[in-house]
Amino acid sequence: MRPAVLAAALALASLPVVASPAQSGARREPVPRTPDGKPDLTGVWQGGSTVRGTWEEANRGTGLGGSGKDPNAPSILSSNDRPGDRQPAPYQDWAAKKVLESFNRRGIDDPTSRCLPAGVPRSVMLGLFPQKIVQTPKEIVVLYEYMNAYRVIPLNAEHPDDLLPSYMGDSVGHWEGDTLVVDVIGFNDRTWLAGTGTFHSEALHVTERYTRVDKDRIDYEVTMEDPNVFTRPWTLRSSLMLREGTRLQEYICAENNSDPAEYERLLKEGVKIRRD
Amino acid sequence: MRAKSWQACAAAAVLSLGSSRLSAHHSFGAEYDGSAPVTVTGVVTRIEWTNPHAFIYLDVSDKDGKVASWKFEGYPPGVLQRLGWKRDRTMKIGDRITIFGWRARDGSNWAHSREITLPSGEKMMFGPPAGTGDGGSTPAVEVR
Repeated sequence: MRPAVLAAALALASLPVVASPAQSGARREPVPRTPDGKPDLTGVWQGGSTVRGTWEEANRGTGLGGSGKDPNAPSILSSNDRPGDRQPAPYQDWAAKKVLESFNRRGIDDPTSRCLPAGVPRSVMLGLFPQKIVQTPKEIVVLYEYMNAYRVIPLNAEHPDDLLPSYMGDSVGHWEGDTLVVDVIGFNDRTWLAGTGTFHSEALHVTERYTRVDKDRIDYEVTMEDPNVFTRPWTLRSSLMLREGTRLQEYICAENNSDPAEYERLLKEGVKIRRD
Repeated sequence: MRAKSWQACAAAAVLSLGSSRLSAHHSFGAEYDGSAPVTVTGVVTRIEWTNPHAFIYLDVSDKDGKVASWKFEGYPPGVLQRLGWKRDRTMKIGDRITIFGWRARDGSNWAHSREITLPSGEKMMFGPPAGTGDGGSTPAVEVR
């Protein structure tokens, strides 16, 4: 056996074995690829999770929502959790005060409490709802159950020069090796990024990197730049887990949304909501 | 209408850890007091299988037979379905169930549901942890 072939054989033999609660002992399966050789990201995914298996396997027991730091809480991130190492976001002093004020008001000014789209990257990193990626050679479409939002990501294209500010921004993508890099601009200033009060301006520029590392997992890295509110770029890392068999449901948030009226009533009646 | 006059009681201390350590959906933590756990047993009179959140209404009798209506908020229907809930099958009007959750900050008979004990004795999650959506234990920024 030639050395190169031997090395390849040894490398194959030493592929890591998955140790997951859902699929104990199962071997990591390779990344599916499209006919043109690119990683195929098509599928239904759950953000904010590292757990392998079907939706039912990964989320049974304690349900969803939470940072995982409370022993009674589920480990799957919901729609307002900050992933990663919990380092402070690099807001300028005046902007940090504004973020803190939202935190002290317990998030009652969350745009999603008025059923507005969750924006980017919040829509990608939340775990309460699935998202579906549909990949074609020329564009990638992502459908988010949360707020029935979607993104169309043309590949190897330029941003239009007449963008109107929007909740989900304008996305263009390209492949860097096996990583899909998505550039997003054209945002309005009405979404939160990752965590209570994490506002931004219309100057927000988001760069996302999607790397499917095996069949079950996409590593997700996002860098947010906004010179109007940040002192430096803010980078977070998370992952998307494949949820085979999961269907997207309709989510019409305005159907029976009582939250803003309730917040207003409680405040009017003098009920203490604010943190001490 | 004090809680103790109904078949309601504070939950075990282990379940009342951390009033607002977590954050998730619309702010349950703003409307409901994560330090006020409540367990209520009653008869289901209505289920609103609606977005953004589902609601359950319970008729709850006190020891004198006086009945009060309680309202419980939970996950959205799609989330419930993926957690194993079957609409009109898992829980039906007329079922006697027990709900553990956290009471509204205004002290009314309104609560954020967490765990439901069905007539069969099976327990299922109907809502997220205490304090969900209120920002969690630490803000996203450094407090200076």
